[in-house]
Formats: sequence, structure tokens, C-alpha cells
Amino acid sequence: MLKMTHLSKVYRTEVVETYALRDFNIDVKEGEFVAVTGPSGSGKTTFLTIAGLLETFTGGEYMLDGVDVSGLNDNARSKIRNEKIGFIFQAFNLIPDLNVFDNVEVPLRYRGMKAAERKQRIMDALERVGLASRLKHYPAELSGGQQQRVAIARALAGSPRLLLADEPTGNLDTQMARGVMELLEDIHREGATIVMVTHDPELAARAQRNVHIIDGQEVDIAEEPRFQAEQAASSHG
Amino acid sequence: MQIKPILSALRHHKAGTILIAVQIALTLAIVCNALFIIQQRVTQLSRSSGVDEAHLIRIQNQWVGTDDKDIGPLMKADLDTLRRLPGVVDAYATNTTPLSNGGWSTGMSLKPGSKGERTMTAIYFADNHTLNTLGLKLVAGRNFHASEVAPHMPHDTLQPPQVIVTKALADKLFPGGQAVGKSVYLGDKPSIIVGVVARLQVPWVGGWASNWEGQSTLVPRQLMMGGANFVVRVKDGQLGKIERAAPAALLASDRMRVIADDHGVMTFTQMRQDVYKRDRGMAILMGVICLVLLGITAAGIVGLTSFWVGQRRKQIGVRRALGATRHDILSYFLTENLLIGVTGVVMGVLLAMGMNQWLMQAFEMQRISWLWVAGGVIVLLLLGQAAVLAPAMRASRVPPVVATRTV
Repeated sequence: MLKMTHLSKVYRTEVVETYALRDFNIDVKEGEFVAVTGPSGSGKTTFLTIAGLLETFTGGEYMLDGVDVSGLNDNARSKIRNEKIGFIFQAFNLIPDLNVFDNVEVPLRYRGMKAAERKQRIMDALERVGLASRLKHYPAELSGGQQQRVAIARALAGSPRLLLADEPTGNLDTQMARGVMELLEDIHREGATIVMVTHDPELAARAQRNVHIIDGQEVDIAEEPRFQAEQAASSHG
Repeated sequence: MQIKPILSALRHHKAGTILIAVQIALTLAIVCNALFIIQQRVTQLSRSSGVDEAHLIRIQNQWVGTDDKDIGPLMKADLDTLRRLPGVVDAYATNTTPLSNGGWSTGMSLKPGSKGERTMTAIYFADNHTLNTLGLKLVAGRNFHASEVAPHMPHDTLQPPQVIVTKALADKLFPGGQAVGKSVYLGDKPSIIVGVVARLQVPWVGGWASNWEGQSTLVPRQLMMGGANFVVRVKDGQLGKIERAAPAALLASDRMRVIADDHGVMTFTQMRQDVYKRDRGMAILMGVICLVLLGITAAGIVGLTSFWVGQRRKQIGVRRALGATRHDILSYFLTENLLIGVTGVVMGVLLAMGMNQWLMQAFEMQRISWLWVAGGVIVLLLLGQAAVLAPAMRASRVPPVVATRTV
């Protein structure tokens, strides 16, 4: 489903080159629930933006659902984002001027879907996240957990091949976080492929598999003392 | 099209939306009416006077120390002097000319005295040289004979036995009929229409004569009252030379006269520029006001859209992340602007019609044509789309990765 091979991302200024990802490899199979973990500044978010075709990469290869995405133009990347990827952001990223229904509708409109089909999908998605009764509410009228559920509904409505979640519970309290996490697990059980970026070991532990990034490279957790120390510190704290 | 969500979003930005819509409405109302006024002024400016302006000079002459009853021989001598000048086609003396903005007018009737409906007409004193001098085209009847030309003293009643009228006046007096040979009345005695000329504009170019600006009457009379306006027609390329030679010749024949330095000798081209100076100035002022207003409106749209693009940068990034192409973002802002623009022009059309109604009542302006309003609507909508293009292009270049940034 998602395969990156020797992938690198370099940010260049006039005087310095910074490797956000270096010789990075990952292979996510269809139906997997993978957590990508690592400390702040390790390259997790860069991985996510490249995986979601929000940014280009500097070197290596990236195959998404069997398509080599390196040579795609902006329009083709937009189309793939729209049809194959569902995004769940840490800050929910709902559009404050639109109500719940219209927010979930946004990606479907860009797909050029007919109104009747859009409506059906929106209702199904909102039903799935338990917010079918909040169609006319605006984001500001919802709790954080409800907003994230709307964001999940928006991601699900387009029936994407891959769900990318960026710290999906980062802005939620424990109870709401638990609810959102359970929802993601349910969605995974129904067959979705999920890649979740998080720095929370507890959340990561609920995924099928963990990929750890440090300094822009994936590492084996057993062989990385620094990561072990961080993990130990967070589990004691 | 994503009109519904755009309308929904605009409801959350009421102040800016209403402000721009009102600005568009006011601009449309003012620009439509201003352009309509300009068009009327330009039409007025470009109206033909009916005379051969390019070859005509007017000399305002005042004899000094001469009784009105003695003017006849002096006038004849001066006209002989002018007609003899090499390069002169012809000359005559009159009370006034077209483009002078001052002269005589009266009511002409088909019945004697004060009976019957009176039709307004300008009165030009003329002789048998007038048609040739002014270059007037006779469309019916004949010119005056020299024997018909008589002096007119200041206290005489103007009731010439013969007159020549313009076609506009003839059509007004005798709609669909033949005017030559018919009697008309300036007073109690009849005047026979002996000829009809194609066109001769009245002396006034302003508002009061605008409804009868082509209704002129030539009377075979020479005004004996202190001075005279000599009109001289010159051959091609002789205008500058005769402009200097004519007053010099008159002064050489008799120095007991005044020909003013500034406006004493003027070509008809100069007279046209002079008499329409205010109209031209008004048209230019209106044009500048229109441009400034359109500029301010365009700047308002650019400013508001730029502000909105900045404010919604994250939102644009989210839309891009969710699959919007650059074109989708561009079309979002263009559509949003079009919706505001349409609201503005709908209000503007009503305002323009209302403003025109007020101008009609207060200043006797004509009813504005729908074409001007339609033109204004198109201009404002195009201006809006042009103004929004740059900020919308900037919005379309917001990268999708912005969606993942927290600031």
C-alpha cells in the first residue's frame, strides 16, 4: 500500500543542508495499522507530509497503492490525495465557516461527485462516528472530541485506501482521546489501512506495528538506547 | 460549482462582504450616471453647427463716434474691404453667429400677433452673401436677393417680408409639408419663407435651447446698432493670414473703430473650443471621478480578498490537502467575488435608476438608457474579477503542507 525506499528529504538554505529524512524505508501493507513514533524533530511529520503527498521528497522512491508518485504533477497529486488518502490532523482542521455537513462534503465536492451520492456518503460517515444528529452545527459549537470525529468522518466519506493520522489525539483530553482511538481501531478492524504519527507510546502500543524514526531514519527500537531511555522516562512519568 | 458552501462562508464574513457589495453598488450607480452625462456632453460637443467652421473668422467691430443711423455706409465699406482681400471667399455682417452663446430668440407662429402656438427660433441677421459665407446648404427655395436686405434700427419691430428657415424649424412648423412659400409670423405682419437650409445651429450651446438647437431663422436685415459681427469665409490655408490681414485692412480703411485684442478676431474653431470649454471640463472631471471610483473599488476588492487569503491560508492548505487543485482554489475566490459582485450590481442597478430619476427631476437630465446600466454592470463585474485575480492566484499557490502547520 505505502512503500518508501531510500527516501530522503533535504531542506536547503544558502549555507546549510538539513536532512529531515535520510535513507528512510517503510513498507505498509494493505489493512495494517502502523504507528510511526519518535521524539520531536525526528522527522515524523515530514514523513507524514510526504506520505500524504503534501510535500515532495528529494531522493529515493515512493510507491503509493502501486503508483510511483515521484513524477506526478500537482493536479495528479491532488487527485490522489482526494481519492486515495484520508487525513486526520492533530488540530482537526475543520473549516470554521462551514457546518458539519458542509465540512464533510469538502473532499467529495472536489471529486465532482453528484449531490445525492455526496449526501449518502456524508450521512453514512457521520452515522459511523456518531454525529448524524449534529449536521447543522458549526465546529465552534462542538467539543474537541466531536470535532475530531467530524474530521474522521470527512476522512472516511471518500472511502480512501489509506488513512493518515497526525497525532489524532494530541489536542484531546484522556477520555476524548480514548474515544477517538477506539474509533480508529474500529475503522481498522473494518479493513482500513491506517498510518498514525504519534509521540505517545501508549497510543503507539495500540497499533499493530510501530516504526520508530530518529534523526530522519527508521531505527530498530531494541538497538536504540536513546529511544529506550525516552520510552522508560515516559512510562514512569 | 460550490456556491452553497461559499454563501455559507460569506455569512460568517458579513461586514467585509456588505462593505464591498455596497461599494460596488455605489460605484455602479455613480459611474453609470456619470458616463451617461459624459456621453451627453460629448454628443453636445460633437454637434455640427451647420457652418463651414474650418474656414470662418468672426470679427467683432465697434465703430467709435458714429450714430446708429450713419452705420449703413460704414458697414458697406467694411464689407467691400473684407470681400476684396485676397484669400477671402465672402463676408457678411450679422448680430450673432453659432457658437457665440449669445443672440436673439423669439417665438414664431403660423398666425398673426399673439394668436396660435409659438415655436422658438433663433434670429440671425443676414444678407444675400450669408449662405455663401457660412457655407449653408439650401435644400429648398432660394437665397435672399440684395434688394430684400434692409437696415434694422434698434427700435424697429422685426417683421421682415421674407425669411429663410432651417429644415428643423420648417419640419416643426409644417410637419410633413412644404414650407417654402408659406407665411409665418414674428409679429403682426407675415413673413414668407423663401428658402430652407439644411442646418444652422442656434447661438446657444447650453441647456435652455437644447430642445430647439436646430431651429434658426435668417432675416434679410443689417443691424444698425454701434457695431457689427463680420463673418469672413476664407480659402483653404488662408485662415492664419486673413486672421491678421482682415483687422489690419479694416483699421487701415478707418481707424475710428475698436477691434478687441483678445476676442475681437476669432476663428470658429477657437469659438467652438471656447464655448464648449465647460462641457469639456465637466466631461473630463466626470471621467476622472469614474476612474478614481473604479480604482478605489478595485483596490477595495484587492485589499479585502488579500486579507481573506491571508486569514484563510490554513483553510486553503486544508482544502488543498483534501484534494483541491490550484484551479479549484482560484475558482473558489473568483466565484466568491462574483457572488459579492452580483449582489453589488443588483443593488447598484436600483441605485443607478433612482439616482437618474432624481437627476431627471432636479436637473432635467434625460432618462438613462438600459444599455448604459448593462454596460456598467459588465464593467463592474469584469473589474471585480480582474481585481480578485492576483490575490486568488496567490491563494492558489498556498501549498497543501500548510494544513499540517500549527501557525
